[in-house]
Amino acid sequence: MSIPRSLPQSKEALLKSYRTRLKDDVKSMLENFEEIVKLSKGEHDTQLSRMTQCEQDTYEMHVRAANIVRAGESLMKLVSDIKQYLILNDFPSVNEAITQNSKLFRTKQAECDQKLMSLRDDMAADLYDLEEEYYSSINK
Amino acid sequence: MSYSVDISVEAPIENQIQEITYDGTEIYQPPLTISESLAKYAQKIDFSRVSDVDVKKEESNEDSKSDADSKDAFQSSLWPWDGVRNKLRSALQEVCVLADVLAIAKEKRYLVLDPVQQEPLETKPMVQIYARKKALAGNYICNSLTFLKLCIVGAANVLLAGAEKLKTSQNEAARNRTTMDFHIELLRLRQNWRLKKVSNTIIGDLSYRTAGSKYLQTGTFEVTKAEEEEKSSSPPSSPLPGGPAPVKPNSALRVSIPSELQGVAYIEVLCQKDQEDLCSANINLLGSGPPATNPDMHWQQKLEAAQNVLFCKELFNQLAKEAVQLQAPIPHMVVGNQIMATVLPGIQLIIGLCHSTTGDKKQQNPAPSKSDHDHVLEHSLHQLLREVHHKNTHIPFPHPATGPLGPSKKRMIAGPMAADRYELLEMTKTETLLEQIVKQAQHFIMRMRTEYVLDTIAKEIRDPLISSHWNTLNSPTQSCVKINISTHGYDAVCRTPLVIHVGEKSLKCICRDGKVMNMSYEPQELRDLIMCHINQHQILAVQALAKTMGWQALGNSNHLGTGSVEPLGNASSCLLSSPTGDRIIAVRCEPQAGTQVSVAHSPRSDFFPSRLVTERKWEHLGGQFRDVRLDKMEGRNFLHKMELLMASLTSNS
Repeated sequence: MSIPRSLPQSKEALLKSYRTRLKDDVKSMLENFEEIVKLSKGEHDTQLSRMTQCEQDTYEMHVRAANIVRAGESLMKLVSDIKQYLILNDFPSVNEAITQNSKLFRTKQAECDQKLMSLRDDMAADLYDLEEEYYSSINK
Repeated sequence: MSYSVDISVEAPIENQIQEITYDGTEIYQPPLTISESLAKYAQKIDFSRVSDVDVKKEESNEDSKSDADSKDAFQSSLWPWDGVRNKLRSALQEVCVLADVLAIAKEKRYLVLDPVQQEPLETKPMVQIYARKKALAGNYICNSLTFLKLCIVGAANVLLAGAEKLKTSQNEAARNRTTMDFHIELLRLRQNWRLKKVSNTIIGDLSYRTAGSKYLQTGTFEVTKAEEEEKSSSPPSSPLPGGPAPVKPNSALRVSIPSELQGVAYIEVLCQKDQEDLCSANINLLGSGPPATNPDMHWQQKLEAAQNVLFCKELFNQLAKEAVQLQAPIPHMVVGNQIMATVLPGIQLIIGLCHSTTGDKKQQNPAPSKSDHDHVLEHSLHQLLREVHHKNTHIPFPHPATGPLGPSKKRMIAGPMAADRYELLEMTKTETLLEQIVKQAQHFIMRMRTEYVLDTIAKEIRDPLISSHWNTLNSPTQSCVKINISTHGYDAVCRTPLVIHVGEKSLKCICRDGKVMNMSYEPQELRDLIMCHINQHQILAVQALAKTMGWQALGNSNHLGTGSVEPLGNASSCLLSSPTGDRIIAVRCEPQAGTQVSVAHSPRSDFFPSRLVTERKWEHLGGQFRDVRLDKMEGRNFLHKMELLMASLTSNS
């Protein structure tokens, strides 16, 4: 039921496959549920012995229930896949993030530059005084 | 009555036309057989009305025999009616049974109906019953209804288990908020790194290729979801000694990095002189990062470390390539992870790539003495490659759409500007990274040497003060130092400023009088120059002092031809005469021997006529010079002593 996801290369096909997966899963849930309800009617005109029939019904119900669960989990997986797809292919938001980041780093850089410049100026002034003091002192 | 006309109502003899062919012949439907026409009529009967009548009839004569109703109810017992009748009868029976059951249940004397419990806990007794029923299966006691129930309960259990699983996973995610949601983490990752999906895996790229790098090695990494087991096992694994945050939330996301990019890498730059380290620089973009192999490390740090490794590798690769290609007078050597280039005679620049995958920081830690490495070289290597990257991505504009990529803007306009061959050749010259870093290293060493020379001279020579001020505005290959030679206490009288430009392989000194002296990288040359300038300063200072004292400078020479030959430079001297002109001071400065001061009196205070000098007037020509023992004199420094000397000589006259 689940479509092998290695096949669709183009995004169109991928999106289509997501849609079909969704429909298939929901359909499978519904069908299995209907089948369970039908089985629970309990009227069968078969040639099997009653015991065998009951066993068969039991197993069929189990399998159908498991199918429903599987379809549900497949839906969860689909949700996660779609999320992943969105995250990886949402270029506008990525661009926004990049712009924001670069803006942030630019302001940080400007800030750092400014701080460094003021530090340099302070240090240059102090260095001049210290050099003056050092070279004119006796203890060199 | 006689007018009565018999009207016979019968079906038309003609059959219905089924089809008319093109030639006009009509094809009739075949006439209905008896059974078909019966069925057709039977379809027209309204059964609901008939059955209602039947039921009423049957209820009314309930006690009558069963044989009778079959004959009474239907005058003609035709076959098609039989099925209808049977169905009706069975329905009647079922309704009767239902009515009986309801009556019994209502009275509650024989039977009590209990609601079946809805909880899934019911399953256990059910299973027991099921087992018991199974054991008694031979007796066919088991009821199909019970079995159906069991089936449904089993199916419900499967559904409940599935739902439970989903619910627990949901709860798990909600409960430990510390572990981030995979998709949120992925979003964060996506915002900072390049990711794409290849079939079922998410592949990321940490190379600098989008930033302009042309390095071939790929920096791909894979993003996976963190396993549950890892999460549970990670907390006991070592919190780092001194690690700041052991409580950091576990990431739901794991990145796997190719093994060649794991670990910590840095580039070590060493300047060696006869196997003795002059300086060393360690390039490590992250500074001291945590060991890379720690699996707990956050993906951001892990990726940054890997990117750093890639960067270092690219840098080293580039340098090694250039080292092999460059035609240097002393060829560069590339051995293993080391590049050796000769910067200045006897001094080598060693660039090494250190890459440790083990994460053992201890073995890499160089001796503590080395730790005061030069951050400038470190930074500039970093910058150089970044610049190359930047140039690769930023092609100068305006750029014709059909034009080749690469040529600079200058070369683009070379045609319109009619550049000649020389200019074009100049444009094609580009400096490689290695050349640039070698130049920077040369400059670094030149600067160090200059500093050393200036400091030692300042230490050795106390008398004129030699103070040097380094300019804060400099480039990686150019710096500038201003030297002031002055005497303590006489700063205003005379000072000799010098400016030395420190280049890559040469020094340029701009002297006080505007003369420009170019020197090589040998430190001795600078030393000699400064020594000469000290002598000149002393002579000039004495003259300036004399001027303020009212003395007269008779003459001076910076390059005295007389006297013993100096090993470097020439001696300089000056002659000063007192205001009245009867005292003369001669000062001679030699770079090696120091200063000599002599004094002559004319006329001498006492005159004894001799056979050669018979009259006193000849004494005005000037007498013998007598040396002054400066070291015995009072005074803080040479100028002070000279001032005292001049003062004493002036007052005497």
